[in-house]
This record gives sequence, structure tokens and C-alpha cells, in this order.
Amino acid sequence: MKFSRILAAAAAGATAFVGFGAQASDALVTTEWLAKNLNDPKVRVIEVSVNPGVFERGHVPGATNFVWHTDLADPVRRDIVSKDNLQKLLRDAGVNQDSTVVLYGDTNNWFAAWGAWVFDIYGVKNVKLLDGGRKKWEAEKRDLSSQVAAAKPGNVTLADANPALRARLVDVLASAEKKSNAKLVDIRSPDEFNGKIIAPAGIQELAIRAGHVPGAVNVPWGAAVAEDGTFKSAADLKALYAAKGIDGSTPVITYCRIGERSSHTWFALVKILGYDVKNYDGSWTEYGNSVGVPIVNVAGTVWTGK
Amino acid sequence: MTANTVTLSRSSVVAGLAAAALFFWLVLQLPERDALGRSLPLSMLLGGAFGVLLQRSRFCFYCIARDFFERRDPRGLLGIVVALAVGLLGTYAIFGAWMPVPSATRLPAEAHIGPVSWVLALGALVFGIGMTVSGSCISAHLYRLGEGSPTAPFALVGAAAGFALGFLSWNDLYLRAVQEAPVIWLPRFLGYGGSLALQLGVLALVALLLMRHRAPVEAAATSLFDAVFRRRWPAYFGGALVGALATVAYLRVGPLGVTAELGSWSRTAADGLGLLPKRLAGLDTFAGCATALKEALLSRNGVFVGGLILGALAAALVAGQFQPRLPTARDVVRGLAGGVLLGWGAMVALGCTVGVLLSGIFAGAASGWVFAIFCLLGVWLSSLAARRLFAAR
Repeated sequence: MKFSRILAAAAAGATAFVGFGAQASDALVTTEWLAKNLNDPKVRVIEVSVNPGVFERGHVPGATNFVWHTDLADPVRRDIVSKDNLQKLLRDAGVNQDSTVVLYGDTNNWFAAWGAWVFDIYGVKNVKLLDGGRKKWEAEKRDLSSQVAAAKPGNVTLADANPALRARLVDVLASAEKKSNAKLVDIRSPDEFNGKIIAPAGIQELAIRAGHVPGAVNVPWGAAVAEDGTFKSAADLKALYAAKGIDGSTPVITYCRIGERSSHTWFALVKILGYDVKNYDGSWTEYGNSVGVPIVNVAGTVWTGK
Repeated sequence: MTANTVTLSRSSVVAGLAAAALFFWLVLQLPERDALGRSLPLSMLLGGAFGVLLQRSRFCFYCIARDFFERRDPRGLLGIVVALAVGLLGTYAIFGAWMPVPSATRLPAEAHIGPVSWVLALGALVFGIGMTVSGSCISAHLYRLGEGSPTAPFALVGAAAGFALGFLSWNDLYLRAVQEAPVIWLPRFLGYGGSLALQLGVLALVALLLMRHRAPVEAAATSLFDAVFRRRWPAYFGGALVGALATVAYLRVGPLGVTAELGSWSRTAADGLGLLPKRLAGLDTFAGCATALKEALLSRNGVFVGGLILGALAAALVAGQFQPRLPTARDVVRGLAGGVLLGWGAMVALGCTVGVLLSGIFAGAASGWVFAIFCLLGVWLSSLAARRLFAAR
């Protein structure tokens, strides 16, 4: 009894020292931690927001802006950014081999989580997500800056892309046809999942079929976050996904419409629960347009060519 | 209107204060932020200040142009030159903080830098003709709404219809020219220093040319109250304040513009009636007075324009310049016809004298200069034609 108490105290001391004490995972940092460590030269902060003008009018002091559509994706072919381009981008942002990179963004960190996934593919070390993102930082009335600071060029070196983190159409098809044991998590809204609508309100329909991949379970991304935008506790997340049969015993593939919201769930499953998960960035806009693949369309919505 | 002809009416001052009180009460009712996190109350406050500025300095592009074309009175145009110089300096100061080196691939966030093609030139020309026909540009119709103008309501209705026509012609114009039109941001070619020097140099030259014409002498104000609340502010003073206000607006809310909300209402209505094509190609990808389908009732441009009208109303009431009268048939026809031209021009040019001419030039956009030249050309040609027409009768 006494021994275990000493052990617990030591563990608590160790986590307090590292500074991630209250976190569900050491892949997350709290707004409080970030505010305290902003002046640490080893900490580099990167914002990935989708709305224009958000970063410029006020960001976490010292942060660098990455633009999802042009910086983290290939603007011509449908692909993630190339290794060379990302390495240059990160070096320009002052990221060194031993830096701690903190990502955050608007819309509940969707695009920041996409950034974390892309960084992971290229082997960037010590990548953290600011728990609660821009929303929580603003809600807590923390400092914002509208100055863009030029960083001293960094020396980070990227690895070749790791295909284990990225699902392709064949992987998803294999799961749909029960030729693999990978389980699919569709994180879109129930209406999209059931085929009542093809795309969320206000978004152009880029797929010409409605529904979901056979075998997929529907856990909307928002189920993984608490009211303030932070991730739920590891225990809650474990229970949430286990209730849908996702318990980490088999590989998992996450998908959504274009792969960015599913990065958020990918992050929760990999970085908080430690499961083996690939993100399918082709998502419904690729699968729902593919010829001859099986689809479950509960609502029966028919695309009428417009 | 001189100080002697208008007697200070206590009741109109009280009404002006009541309008101001209503304005501040409305500001307090607004939600704190819009979907992008911009402050809605701040947007309305800036709109109110803009309305007061426009009304007090009679910052009406058409009247200013006509003063010069017909009477060689350069003061109004000099006011615009001052506004452009101050706004340029302020906007460039923000650019320097947001984007220390002008990017070769990216544009400063939301700055009104538009595609340059004959569509822009044509839109500006038609807009200028619309100014002559209706007697004002869109921003001036908005502040004149606060002065009780009998034409302004019809001009704004006409403009909404003109916007709908613009949407209808958009896809064709986009494929003919806009899609491949260059988006020219001067700092990209000349750097911040070079492009600033060039534009300030052009403005200085224009100012020197204008100064060759002597301004008429006006009687001095009788009191400070008279100078501030009754008489028209000197145009250069109003211009400097417009440039300063534009800088604050860009830093905190977005570039100045007055047509986004009108265009959004028009697009939403026309779309709801099934008049519009399913997609307006490329329209939502340009920075400028974006006319997205309405999603939220209160938008930052909506509260800005609402504030503008109320601010102008309060200023006009205190000055004794709120003089509503019943519209004549001529007012209705001029307003509607001119408004249609204004709306069509503003739609295809992606903004008007405020959103493209002012905000564009502030941002070092070639599109702002092109709009300025063709809009003035439109006013000049149509005024000339109108004079010939009436002289012939």
C-alpha cells in the first residue's frame, strides 16, 4: 500500500515536471501549458485555420500560419503536401529537430488535426495539439497578437512518407468486401451516413452517390469532444468507441467527406487511445464517386444529375 | 446651403440625439461576434462613424465628380486623393505586420484585390453611368437615405435588381474573361516601398493638377458648433478620416465595403425564386464585396450598413439637413433605372466606389485604379450626354 502510494506520487511528480499532468494524452497540451511555455524557444506554435483573416487579426503570440488548401495539400493533384515542400515550410517556421510543435486552429481543430496527421506521416517528432484549439484560447480571453514574427530558420529533417497512416481506396474496399479485418469509422453526421443528404448544408455536393461504406459505424466527430471543445477523457473515449465495436483489437480506418474532420477522430483514436488507425483522406468524395464499389444507402436518395 | 438659410431647430437636434441613442441601443443588442469571430458591435460602430463622415463631409463620389466637371471645383476630388493617401499608408502598415514580405503566391487576408479585365472596366463604366442617372453612387444613396432622399430608396431597390441581373450574366462573363484575368497586386512586382512610392506619386501628381483650379471661397463658420454640426466639413478633412477609419476597419473587421449585404440579399432572394443558375462559377473565390447566400441574419456588412444609415440620419437631423419629401415620378424613374446600372456594375466589378475604388487602391490593387478611371469616365461621358440631350430640347 505504502509502496504504491510512493509510486503514485513519483508518477504525479514526473508528469507535473513534464507538464502534461491534466491531459488525456501527452499528444495534447492545455491552453494553460501553452500560455506558460510560449517563450520557450523550443516550442513552435503553428495555426491551421480554414477561415480567412482569422490568423491575421489575432493569433497565439509567436504562431506561424499554415494554409490548409495551399500549404498542406498539393494544389494541383489531390494529395497531401510533398515532403520537400513541407520540410521547407517547417524550416521557415523555425522548427528544429528537437522542437516541440504545437498545432491549433479554428472550427474545433479540424484542420489542425489534419496538420498533425500530415506531420505524423512525414515523421515530425513532438507534435502536440492544443486541446480545445482557438475556440478555448479565445474563450479564456488569452493574449492574441496580430504581428507576424519572422522565425530563425530551423533544421528539421523529414522522413519519407509513412504509408501505414494513410488508407487508400483499396484498403477501404477490402474492408467493405470483408477481405480485411480493418473496421471503418464514418465520422460524418447521421444524415450523411444514412444517405438523406450527400453533403452537409451549405457545401456543394461533390459525390454523386449518397450513403456510406458497407460495414462502417457512425460516430460523428463531435461525440469525441466536451462542451469547451477539448477532447473527452481517455476512459470516456474508450467507452464511446467500444460501444460501436471499435476497441483497438483490429486496425481502424477513419473517413468523412474530404478527410479533414476524420483527422480529428484519427487523432483521438491514435494519440489518446493508442489504436492502430489509418485516415482515409479520399473519404466520401472519392469512395462515393468510385465506379462499382458497394454502398449502403439507407435513405435511398438518388442523385439526379444536377 | 449656407448657415443663414437654415435656422437651428431645437426639435431636429433632439431628434438627432434620439437617432444616436437608438444607434447605441442597437449596438448593445448585437451578438458579440459573427461566425468568423469578428466583433459585430465594432462593425456597427464603424458603420455609424462612416455614415457621420459621409454625411458631414458630403463624401458623394458623383457630386464630387460633377463639382469638378461642371464648375472646376477641385475640393471634393482632393478629398478623395487625401483619403486614398491616408488609407494606403494605413493599409500598408497592416500589411507589413501581417505579411512582412509580399508573397508571390498569396494575397494579404481578405484585401480587395480583384481580377483585372474588360469586365471590370465595363462594370465600372456602367456604374459611373448609373451614378449620373440616379444622382449618386451606392454609398451616397445609403447616407442620403438618412437625409430623407426621395430617390435613394428607389435607387437601392433598383441596385438589388441590378445585382440579380449581374448574377445572371456572371457565368458568361466569368468564362469569357474573368477566369483568366490577372489578379494584380502591385507590391508583388514593386515591393511595398516601390508600390507605395508609385501610388503616392500618382496621387501627388493628381493633387497638383487639381490645385491649379481655384476653390470657391466660402463664408467662415459662425461658431464651432456651426463648423462641426452644421456646415459641410472640408473635403480633405473628411477624406483623411475616411482613410483612417478604413485602416481600423481592415485591422479589426474587414476592408470597407457597402454592397456585400445588398448583394447577399439580392442573391438570396433571386436564388429563392429560382432565377439564378445553380452555380455562379468562381464567384465565391474572389476577395471583394463577396455576395454569399445569406446564412445568418446579422452579418458584419449588414450591421455596418445599418450603422451607416443611422449615423447619417443622426448627423443630418442635427444639421437640419434631414429633409424628406414625397418622391416625384422623375425620382422614381431615375432611382430605379440608375440603381439597376449601379447594381449590375457593382456586381460584375465585385464592388463599388467604396469596396473596389477605395479599398482596392488602399490595398495596392490594380483593380482599384482601373475602377477609378472607368467609373470617372462613365460619369463624365454620361454627364456630357445628358447636357447635350437637355440642351437639344
